[in-house]
Amino acid sequence: MKNKEKNTAISVKNLHITYRGLKKTSIRASWTKLKNKVEVFEALKGVSFDVEEGKILGIIGKNGSGKSTLLRAIAGIFSPDKGSIDLHNHTISLLSIGVGFNKKLTGRENIYLSGMLLGFSEEEIKAKEKEIIKFADIGDFINKPVKTYSSGMYSKLAFAITAILETDIMLIDEVLSVGDTRFKEKSYNKMKELISDDKRTVIIVSHSLGTIVELCNEVLWLNDGKVIEIGDPKEVVEHYNKYMNENG
Amino acid sequence: MKKFIFNIKKYNKYAIRSAKAELKSEVADSYLNWLWWIIEPFCFMLIYVFVFGVVFKNNTPFFASFVFIGLACWDFFNRMVSGSVKLIINNRDLVTKVYIPKYILLISKSYTYLFKMGIALVITFGLMIFQGVTFSWHIVLLIPILIVLYIVSLGIGLLLMNYGVTINDLGNLTNIVLRMVFYLSGVFYNINERNLSPTLKYYFLRVNPIAFIMNEMRRILIFNQLPNFKWLGIWLVIGLLLVVIGIHTIHKNENSYAKVI
Repeated sequence: MKNKEKNTAISVKNLHITYRGLKKTSIRASWTKLKNKVEVFEALKGVSFDVEEGKILGIIGKNGSGKSTLLRAIAGIFSPDKGSIDLHNHTISLLSIGVGFNKKLTGRENIYLSGMLLGFSEEEIKAKEKEIIKFADIGDFINKPVKTYSSGMYSKLAFAITAILETDIMLIDEVLSVGDTRFKEKSYNKMKELISDDKRTVIIVSHSLGTIVELCNEVLWLNDGKVIEIGDPKEVVEHYNKYMNENG
Repeated sequence: MKKFIFNIKKYNKYAIRSAKAELKSEVADSYLNWLWWIIEPFCFMLIYVFVFGVVFKNNTPFFASFVFIGLACWDFFNRMVSGSVKLIINNRDLVTKVYIPKYILLISKSYTYLFKMGIALVITFGLMIFQGVTFSWHIVLLIPILIVLYIVSLGIGLLLMNYGVTINDLGNLTNIVLRMVFYLSGVFYNINERNLSPTLKYYFLRVNPIAFIMNEMRRILIFNQLPNFKWLGIWLVIGLLLVVIGIHTIHKNENSYAKVI
């Protein structure tokens, strides 16, 4: 059933991304190889899709099919070589763990650093600081340097920052399992709560097909930089499994 | 350019906070903590004063103050230029995970360098009082000179930052050039007093922005002279041009950095 009044949150049109444009080189190499052929790797070959506001889109595909590239392109880290991505003025964040952390500083200071990097103002973070600390649940360690943290505590804090500071569109790249069992459950529930918000659009990349079927409204199957299928989660995952068994 | 101003407004607070965080973390584990910010430049300056004032016998008046001013100025320029080449690669985690206008990284760094230069200048003023240098209203002119220094350094830094991403050995090259500029800038000698032909002196003190800026700073601070406004203006324009070109190339390329590193 298509509802025309629903707003589109993300439109991706004929997206091409190639790893070529800038190649790492040395001064010597650029003299000798001035006109040599450059290796071209096309990570995405003409991907188009729309995501409606409030929808949850899962992206599946084997390793190297361009899933992470697609997410990064949507987040604005890569620019498209061809085609366009329109976010219709929504704020966006790529849920990634521990961006911009300074390990010698305390957890509390890192909340601000990381949060501001994600595009939030100091006041917004201040308002949510308590909530983040409460959710991260690492006790007095919040006032100790991050380098003294265990890896579990580190991810707990990092997850709390990105989960509590909300944006209109969230991009999630395989981060559903951090910390111990208790925190895993808590973060999974928080994630569910976050993405089931009517206003929030979410794109999840995961290899855990069970999670995808459970959480998503729609699934996009990417193979070798092309969209194979997009549609109902159960159907797409079924086709995907069949394909993987035949070609695996 | 509009985009640049918008981004600066949006990210300046982050740049400041990140600069503060960097400064804090630099001294977080040491015994003497923030005292290092004073001890370190002070000791370096003493070494230069001893080597070039006592060992090499230099007769420039107020030689210690002379060296201190030069070194404060040089350190800022040197840090800006050498720091910018590998800046993107050193921030790989950040660059591949979030979008941030890349020049914010350099601007944030520049705040930490400005802070250090500020300390060095305070030490210098202390020394000037100790040596009995007479201050005059000319000291106000330090501000426009520092602005020119900042803009020229930023312009060069922005361009190096952009090309440092794709050209691996740019770092080696800049090191050599920096070393050359260091010795030619007269940090620890007075170009005006050397036995050089007047034309050579003229170009030494104008073509090399750092030698020029250093010389102007000394003129207003120690010798109570007016700076060379014409050349200050010329370098300001060149600096601004470099900044505009730098920002333009970074806007053009920054979204591809993540693919390369």
